[in-house]
Amino acid sequence: MEDKTRTNTEEGLERELDTLFAAYRLACPEPEPSPNFMPELWRKIEERRSVSYSFTRLTRAFVTAAAAICLVLTLLQSTLKTQPSLYPQTYVEALADASADDSPVYSEVSFYDIGGGDNYQ
Amino acid sequence: MLVDATLIERARGGDEGAFSEVVQAYRRRVLGTIYRLIGHRDDVEDVGQQVFLRLYLSLDQLRTADVFEPWLHRLTVNAAYDYLRKQRRRSESRMSDLPEQVVQLADAAAGSGRQHDDTEKARIREFVQGLLASVSEADRSLLILKEVEGMSLKELEQVYHVNENALKVRLFRARQRVLKVLSSRRESAQGADSRG
Repeated sequence: MEDKTRTNTEEGLERELDTLFAAYRLACPEPEPSPNFMPELWRKIEERRSVSYSFTRLTRAFVTAAAAICLVLTLLQSTLKTQPSLYPQTYVEALADASADDSPVYSEVSFYDIGGGDNYQ
Repeated sequence: MLVDATLIERARGGDEGAFSEVVQAYRRRVLGTIYRLIGHRDDVEDVGQQVFLRLYLSLDQLRTADVFEPWLHRLTVNAAYDYLRKQRRRSESRMSDLPEQVVQLADAAAGSGRQHDDTEKARIREFVQGLLASVSEADRSLLILKEVEGMSLKELEQVYHVNENALKVRLFRARQRVLKVLSSRRESAQGADSRG
């Protein structure tokens, strides 16, 4: 009996909620747009377009400048490579050339007789 | 669809006249949905213009004209969310700036304003909005689109990109929450009547 009453109450609430939603739809009718709606919309579109246009121009200028700098640096590098170097040898090569003569310091091994070699016989 | 698919294709191609026609065909419906989602009239037109501005900027991303309406619904719901979020932040910061006494005075003034607005429609709006305040913003918009706008689950699937079963579960839970609030309000009203 109690369950039946509860079910009836729930069903009643469900119906009431549906009625309320339908009433809410009628209480919030579709508003009539003002005559200014379209001009104002196009003004906003133009405003956004001009912002994105300026941004595109700025981005293009930045990309062009970056490309130009890359080109200049590449040219500079290739020019420097073709020029004869001030130091044609590396440090190690120069050191090897400087110390290359006919009497190497450690070419001979000296043997010293420290004596006592026959003492064990 | 309120307009021909070729008109949408032309608008997609950058035809401004076609875009204007699309706006004129859909603006009343969009403004109505926004009004029901945000609950008051003042900024409806501004939010509506935001919807069509976003539409204009993203129209080239639309795959086919068939999905135009769910796409527009999604833009509408998102713009209404953004507006509500901004409003909440604004009112929170405004209220936090004010001393306690001023806040109480503002509440009292709002109360007296409500008393003047005694039409039946205003009462229904206020009552339903109070009920809907018991669920999250996402669930509130889902309930409004389903129960007030009368959208089908298939249409909602396309708007939310969520499958039908998940939508049913969300709708059921949201409805249950609203029913619970309605039930407690009815009980307290009955209690007040029996005391009176």
